[in-house]
Amino acid sequence: MSAHNRGTELDLSWISKIQVNHPAVLRRAEQIQARRTVKKEWQAAWLLKAVTFIDLTTLSGDDTSSNIQRLCCKAKYPIREDLLKALNMHDKGITTAAVCVYPARVCDAVKALKAAGCNIPVASVATGFPAGQTHLKTRLEEIRLAVEDGATEIDVVINRSLVLTGQWGALYDEIRQFRKACGEAHLKTILATGELGSLTNVYKASMIAMMAGSDFIKTSTGKETVNATFPVAIVMLRAIRDFFWKTGNKIGFKPAGGIRSAKDSLAWLSLVKEELGDEWLKPELFRIGASTLLSDIERQIYHHVTGRYAAYHDLPMS
Amino acid sequence: MRTGVIGLILPPTFSFLEMMWRICPALAVGCTVVALVPPASPTPLLLAQLSGELGPFPGILNVISGPVSLVPVLASQPGIQKVAFCGALEEGRALRRSLAGECAELGLALGTESLLLLTDTADIDSAVEGVVDAAWSDRGPGGLRLLIQESVWDEAMRRLQERMGRLRSGRGLDGAVDMGARGAAACDLVQRFVREAQSQGAQVFQAGDVPSERPFYPPTLVSNLPPASPCAQVEVPWPVVVASPFRTAKEALLVANGTPRGGSASVWSERLGQALELGYGLQVGTVWINAHGLRDPSVPTGGCKESGCSWHGGPDGLYEYLRPSGTPARLSCLSKNLNYDTFGLAVPSTLPAGPEIGPSPAPPYGLFVGGRFQAPGAQSSRPIQDSSGNLHGYMAEGGAKDIRGAVEAAHQAFPGWAGQSPGARASLLWALAAALERRKSTLASRLERQGVELKAAEAEVELSARRLRAWGARAQAQGHTLQVAGLRGPVLRLREPLGVLAVVCPDEWPLLAFVSLLAPALAYGNTVVMVPSAACPLLALEVCQDMATLFPAGLANVVTGDQDHLTRCLALHQDVQAMWYFGSAQGSQFVEWASAGNLKPVWASRGCLRAWDQEAEGAGPELGLRAARTKALWLPMGD
Repeated sequence: MSAHNRGTELDLSWISKIQVNHPAVLRRAEQIQARRTVKKEWQAAWLLKAVTFIDLTTLSGDDTSSNIQRLCCKAKYPIREDLLKALNMHDKGITTAAVCVYPARVCDAVKALKAAGCNIPVASVATGFPAGQTHLKTRLEEIRLAVEDGATEIDVVINRSLVLTGQWGALYDEIRQFRKACGEAHLKTILATGELGSLTNVYKASMIAMMAGSDFIKTSTGKETVNATFPVAIVMLRAIRDFFWKTGNKIGFKPAGGIRSAKDSLAWLSLVKEELGDEWLKPELFRIGASTLLSDIERQIYHHVTGRYAAYHDLPMS
Repeated sequence: MRTGVIGLILPPTFSFLEMMWRICPALAVGCTVVALVPPASPTPLLLAQLSGELGPFPGILNVISGPVSLVPVLASQPGIQKVAFCGALEEGRALRRSLAGECAELGLALGTESLLLLTDTADIDSAVEGVVDAAWSDRGPGGLRLLIQESVWDEAMRRLQERMGRLRSGRGLDGAVDMGARGAAACDLVQRFVREAQSQGAQVFQAGDVPSERPFYPPTLVSNLPPASPCAQVEVPWPVVVASPFRTAKEALLVANGTPRGGSASVWSERLGQALELGYGLQVGTVWINAHGLRDPSVPTGGCKESGCSWHGGPDGLYEYLRPSGTPARLSCLSKNLNYDTFGLAVPSTLPAGPEIGPSPAPPYGLFVGGRFQAPGAQSSRPIQDSSGNLHGYMAEGGAKDIRGAVEAAHQAFPGWAGQSPGARASLLWALAAALERRKSTLASRLERQGVELKAAEAEVELSARRLRAWGARAQAQGHTLQVAGLRGPVLRLREPLGVLAVVCPDEWPLLAFVSLLAPALAYGNTVVMVPSAACPLLALEVCQDMATLFPAGLANVVTGDQDHLTRCLALHQDVQAMWYFGSAQGSQFVEWASAGNLKPVWASRGCLRAWDQEAEGAGPELGLRAARTKALWLPMGD
């Protein structure tokens, strides 16, 4: 894991004059999808790269050790062996970036990955996921327990009520406490942008989260009505770039929820490349939170290799 | 009623969409089109072939592919009723001069430069995207003048340069490019511009992933170009952005309006009040608030000042191809031996025919300039005869100096008058109407001396007063909202005053025509300089006596004198925004020729008489259309 973001002192002047114009951001979002398209073998390469960014996720009430085990195995072998051989990529160690589960299932995930002989990290959601409306004491305790169980990445949710009432200082303090509770674990701060009300709030919340010491900022929990959309992502990526210009720290970005097709994932890669540049296209700085995306990417790769469209049962389940 | 055959001339780099936006309305109202396109583009030929397949109507769209030298040939063909020219400034000027007096009307859409105004309350990243849309994409027609508020200069420049680094240029079929090339000529033009700018001390920044072959040119950002340098006077070529700072919003308006071009502009500010104030204050044809380059066929697109005054899209675009029903087709009044250099230059002197007999008439009227009667610069007057040959009165001999003074007075009065609410303007016009009625007996007796019957004279005065009231009432209509598909938010079609309007009144109907032309001009917020009827200016001067007490100074100015000489002065004046001429055919030709100086819109009668007492011709909607110009204000909404 790369060095942690130590964060900075709270400086409200970084967010006091910011304005975000929604229709203009919408127009830019449409443009990105239209103007950068990749085809043929470059598309296959981009798709394989996208696979290495996926945080393979299962966050349902009916998770048990059996489907966790299946998920971890899929994380180790995301694409069928013979397809990778056909592309001559079977020895490059292509796995997903992480596995993301609820805190109660962290033990199962760690065990399954150890059995499979894979050292990808286990990420756990915490702090009252997904709504975050529980007492601060229990939220911090959740983080500590998850870290004890073996999670090396923690996805926390911020307190939206603090954003909507403009209590930026209190938000900064809370995230600082999450940072301390994580210890050596990687902190991803979920902003739940669908519930923040306006793009200006999204920018301000991103800045506060980065100032308080997050290693990643994440768009959404995946459980809101509106999850990861391009306009919101553009605003967050601009915030990451501004933070980098001010402090020199590179913070990672993770969109989650609503990314289902391979075409979408290519658009996301283009977006990060356009707004931040190639240095951010690494698993240390970019993740995609998805579950069904992997099957769609596998089908696209199958089509590229064989020229035929696969049925879902042709490819191993996750 | 539709115009007839339209000749359409397109510039070397035009987009398919622009061409369709000009051809389709023309065909829709029933005109037929002959288009002259540069030889390098085959698309219009394909379009013509498709239209030729419409069996019952062959020949509604004809396309000729030819070089620029064919432009005057096409324009002077006898069958063409209107020429729509789209292209560069100098060619437009030359065309205007060569078409003076021909039977074809001319509509000009010149220039490709636009303006972007970035205030400190803007979303700077989105404004940078606006710059990319304006100058460094295939949607933008040409270069961009960028005005950045000084307090956000560093941040804006940094983000601009960063964004330029991510642009990609290449052939269109590449699939992942932002912009392409515009041809070798455009490449030469921009290279010369950048070299000159560098030699005058500007800083030039270029970036982007661009192939190094010839027609491709990298996106360029020029800053620190001193405004007085020759480079800063010409239009900014594609793909250059010239950035300059400003301190306050008021300064921004002065800098932005301080150029002869008036095409389109965008204002970036999150403060609604500031954005609207800047939007209303810019002298351009289209203003976008927090956006750039949005277009729609139902929104009129055009310009003012040297960007030409022809429109496409929206109701104004349709009016380009229509003329009022009942008016006859325009006749060519071309006289080949009209000497433009000497027309109206010297004033023929009038010596008295013999000793004057009869009672001494009233003292000579002066010129009505700046709200009061003044002596003319030349210090001379000429006699006016009535219908029986007797001396009716004396009128002052106005000259070039008086015209200059009148135009200056009109300009001083303009901001105050344009800023008045429509209700205030209406009440002034109604007050003038009441004053006319009080003066009915004097005016009627003067008209009688000119040979009009008493009854008809009284009717004329009443009709004049009625017209003033009618136009006062029409001043209420300001503008309306257009519905645009695909945009959330209103688009306002504003009707704004032109500025200073020069009017040369006809000889017939000396009172009625004078009032019929004065009323719409004032109702829409213009200030006027009028040259009354040459045969009998005394009626106009009587009205001036009322205007002296009722109107603010400089609102309406009346200059009498030799009609040709005054016409020459007004037509050549660079600071007159529009001109209406109702005199001789030769004068019409001169006025059209001279308007090429600052490309002012001209309405000339070409020697035809007009029935001023008929509603359709004396007070019809045509007068209202010509007395104001349109501005489209785009307000995308959302948070």
